[in-house]
Amino acid sequence: MSTPDPKNMKQDCSNKRECLEMLQLILDGEATAEQKEHFLKEHLEECMPCYKNYHLEVAIRQLLKTKCCHEAPQQLVDDIKTKVIQNLSRS
Amino acid sequence: MEEFEETPRQHYTEAQKNSIFNNEFMPHINSMYNFAYRLTLDGDDAKDLLQDTYLKAYRFIESFQQGTNAKAWLFRILKNSFINDYRKKSKEPSKVDYQDVETYYNSEDVDRQITPDLRVEALKDMIGDEISNALNSLDVDFKTVIILCDLEGFKYEEMAKILDIPIGTVRSRLHRARNLLKEKLSTYAKQMGYKNA
Ligand SMILES: [Zn+2]
Ligand SMILES: [Zn+2]
Repeated sequence: MSTPDPKNMKQDCSNKRECLEMLQLILDGEATAEQKEHFLKEHLEECMPCYKNYHLEVAIRQLLKTKCCHEAPQQLVDDIKTKVIQNLSRS
Repeated sequence: MEEFEETPRQHYTEAQKNSIFNNEFMPHINSMYNFAYRLTLDGDDAKDLLQDTYLKAYRFIESFQQGTNAKAWLFRILKNSFINDYRKKSKEPSKVDYQDVETYYNSEDVDRQITPDLRVEALKDMIGDEISNALNSLDVDFKTVIILCDLEGFKYEEMAKILDIPIGTVRSRLHRARNLLKEKLSTYAKQMGYKNA
């Protein structure tokens, strides 16, 4: 996506809600090629609120990925393996 | 347990069982722990829930077809264990019945009110636990769809199976969940001094 010129963009979106839903469909990898093509090429570069929403959605996803994934404590991983082995010998 | 009755029962040797457990189940342990922790919001409960889930997965291993989506299968067991065993004894009794929450957030009215005008610049300054706290604060069902989709990358169809809901509900629940998350983040942004966040 190229960087659009703000002067040529609509400052208001007539169907913000539907657009946001389409945006999420695209970012979730669930949109069809046509939906993607239409929205990204024909709408996003002309519509300021949707353009901003796009960057916001991307930023939130990145923030979630970097800040909200915690690894399991190694002790717990080892415990689970041990318990399964014990279970095995009991069955 | 219904999640174990859908595929025809497989027959594995002990060696095969071990191989499935180690090569198909264990690689997802970090994602599973994170899910357990976000659901219970308690280190000890998360540990127990994760342990129960893996033991259950082993016990019912012949309901799992080798080479199919182990991650989705495990997430579904964990989610069901949480609902059956942990949600009831949760320290924080849920204030509203879930159905009410969904009906409430599905009304058009609320959608119009919740149009959080959050800016990317405000997000860039959230270098602490803001996003994590915002996610944790969401109602379990909303938190869950964000974890499955945005953290774990499950497709809508997989989420529908994990959660036993139609794909349309996955989509609308995700949309609400993201609005609620943005609303939370915009509250934090305001506290951080962003006037129009
Ligand atoms: Zn628009
Ligand atoms: Zn549009």
